[in-house]
Amino acid sequence: MTLTETNPEAEAVAAGDDSRPEAEAVAAGDDVRPATQSSAPQWTPPTGLARFLSTGDHLTIGQLYVVFSLVLSGLALTLGMLIGIEQADINGGFGVFSNANEVFQVFGLYRTTLILCGLVPLFLGLATALIPRQLDASSVAFPRAAAAAFWTWLVGAVTHIVATFSYGGLGSIQAGAAREQSVELTVLSLALIGVGLLVGSGVVFTTLVTQRPAGMDLLQVPAFSWSMLVATGVWLFSLPVLLANLVISWVDMRGANALGFGGGGAPFEQVAWAFDAPQVFAWTIPLLGITAEVFTAAHRSSPKMFEPMAFIVGAFGFFSFGAWAQSFFDSPDPNAVDAHIVTNEVLFTAFALAIALMVVAYGGWLAFNAYSAGQRPQITPQFALVTVSGALLTAAAVAGVLRVAEPALGVLREADDDIWRGFFDAMDDLEASSLVNGMMNLAILGGLLAAVAGLFHWAPRLLGRTLNAPLGFLSVLPLAGGAILVGATDVLSGFFDQPRRPFETAGIGQIDALGFVEALNVIGLIGYIAVLGGLALVALNVARSLTLPASAEADQGEDA
Amino acid sequence: MADIAVGTPLAAPLPRQRTLLVGTVFGTAATLMYFAALLAVYLRERADALSGGGEWIPSGANIQLAPPTVAAWTMLMSVVTMQWAVYSIARDDRTHAIMATALTTLFGLSVVVTTSFQYTEMGLVADESIAAVLIYAISGSHLVMIAIGLVFLLLMAFRALAGQYSSRQTDGFVAASIYWYAVVFVYVVIWTAIFVLK
Repeated sequence: MTLTETNPEAEAVAAGDDSRPEAEAVAAGDDVRPATQSSAPQWTPPTGLARFLSTGDHLTIGQLYVVFSLVLSGLALTLGMLIGIEQADINGGFGVFSNANEVFQVFGLYRTTLILCGLVPLFLGLATALIPRQLDASSVAFPRAAAAAFWTWLVGAVTHIVATFSYGGLGSIQAGAAREQSVELTVLSLALIGVGLLVGSGVVFTTLVTQRPAGMDLLQVPAFSWSMLVATGVWLFSLPVLLANLVISWVDMRGANALGFGGGGAPFEQVAWAFDAPQVFAWTIPLLGITAEVFTAAHRSSPKMFEPMAFIVGAFGFFSFGAWAQSFFDSPDPNAVDAHIVTNEVLFTAFALAIALMVVAYGGWLAFNAYSAGQRPQITPQFALVTVSGALLTAAAVAGVLRVAEPALGVLREADDDIWRGFFDAMDDLEASSLVNGMMNLAILGGLLAAVAGLFHWAPRLLGRTLNAPLGFLSVLPLAGGAILVGATDVLSGFFDQPRRPFETAGIGQIDALGFVEALNVIGLIGYIAVLGGLALVALNVARSLTLPASAEADQGEDA
Repeated sequence: MADIAVGTPLAAPLPRQRTLLVGTVFGTAATLMYFAALLAVYLRERADALSGGGEWIPSGANIQLAPPTVAAWTMLMSVVTMQWAVYSIARDDRTHAIMATALTTLFGLSVVVTTSFQYTEMGLVADESIAAVLIYAISGSHLVMIAIGLVFLLLMAFRALAGQYSSRQTDGFVAASIYWYAVVFVYVVIWTAIFVLK
């Protein structure tokens, strides 16, 4: 199936290539006077930079999202690498940062950039470009709103980064280490990013609901479209809560002395839920849709048993909604009788278990489709990437279960303390360890790999060209290997009580086997470098493909 | 000419994609979620303060119930005029639709004025209490919500003047009314949670 969005005749006329005989043109009712006699000014589409600045074309907006979010993902990984260098010598550091507050600022920027400037807009970009084509629609529902969303997000992202590096950040953990105006700007720019992503989500959601062809119900849309419907639905309920947190912080900062919400590291703590379980899984929902499409395409079949898959993705989305799990509002004294600690709540544990269950169910659905296809998969770079991204998501879900397992294991410990003593000791305090950070890294890097797989899979539609497969395989190795190293080393370090956040120096004395943990951090650092190298290879692949002429299969996608 | 018109079957209604409606519902839901989060923080902090035996609203503050009650009734009246506008446009009565929209806009502006007046009277200083921070965050956000609603209403009114909306196409007015009802609903919740409960 070939889908075009422009009328070739109209293009030809616009280009001045109207070669029809004059009689035919007259019969068609066209104005056949010579151009010099026409008094109406001719509109010519803008070219170059003006084309990108003024575009309302969904494909171009999608491409812009993809390019900028990949660049910002690279920046985030560079920040992660800098933190990794510092973590390689936990006690002394390598002097990358001059004080703990700089580690705090950069760690905050790493998380916001990786998720809200990298992964989420990357998914939105793929959706903005591809979903109209998957639905056979001419464009997204609100093209100008899509453009406004992109520019709002981009301006917010750039401002956020600049403000953080101007002695800003999401608060400060050392008096006088941050500039107040820069902190305010960091908070406001993060809100701007949220607004941009929210509007972009609204455009994608509305497109999916209203732009389907007659007769196509929601359970007949492709898997990626379905996953974006679920994702934007969950983001609809999550991003406004993030905005509310930021607005409260900002209003508090307006006074001469910030109180509970804007002072110290409060802004960082207030938005921490967005980078923790279960919300961190909500940012990765489209991973499931991309995996379904790439996986079944590799088996040269279409998704079977779509409804169960749709239910699993929907349930995964439901259980990953985490705006309610705000540790910032925990009781100040955790040992009080009526203390409220959100991560100790039954609901928090249940959501973690449910997410893991949904990941297992999704794996079962993939296995069923592989079995039904009855043939070996065609090994492509995108297939390798989604396989690894699925493994990373599974590992993240398992880490989430381990994190909440302590209360349950406590019961067993009381039953018999001798047999499992070592095991139980290792499981202690995982909640406060780097395992939580590892869980985030596993999930988000899994999502990033899936998005890159989508880029390979839909390159003919996105770029008009296929990407080079050997170069693609070359990029899979560092991407996949690096992502595993980054996530797994943080998870393992958690079992040795490495503090959850790199700026938390108070817990360093509790680390078991300090040398081993530092060695793990060096391996994690290598992981960051590998992922960055992989992304650079992907960028090289895209740049190389753009130098080649558009291929004949340019408009043939996965469901052609 | 008249004979031809009598003999011509009625034009089929326009296909209704409801794009604007769905987009507005999405935006409205996001807005409601935003206020739900703000109010959840407000009520939790208030409960914590009161359960600890402390005061919530600082003793020097003067939060009168009368101005917000007037504003709440004004908002409720605007529901009637908003529905009047939708009713009129659905019956091709453009004059009444514009008049009703203008009245709704007037009600909205009067709530902005009432809230601004209350700001000058209540003596709450943002850096003196958490209650003040949250009250300004919530009521200020609602002022922004009203402003967005007014822009939406005026846009629809101008489009109606240009003939874009009629009994065959009412989506713009219905979308604006959905958002406006959310504005009113949020104010009633704010009135109850902040000004009645204090």
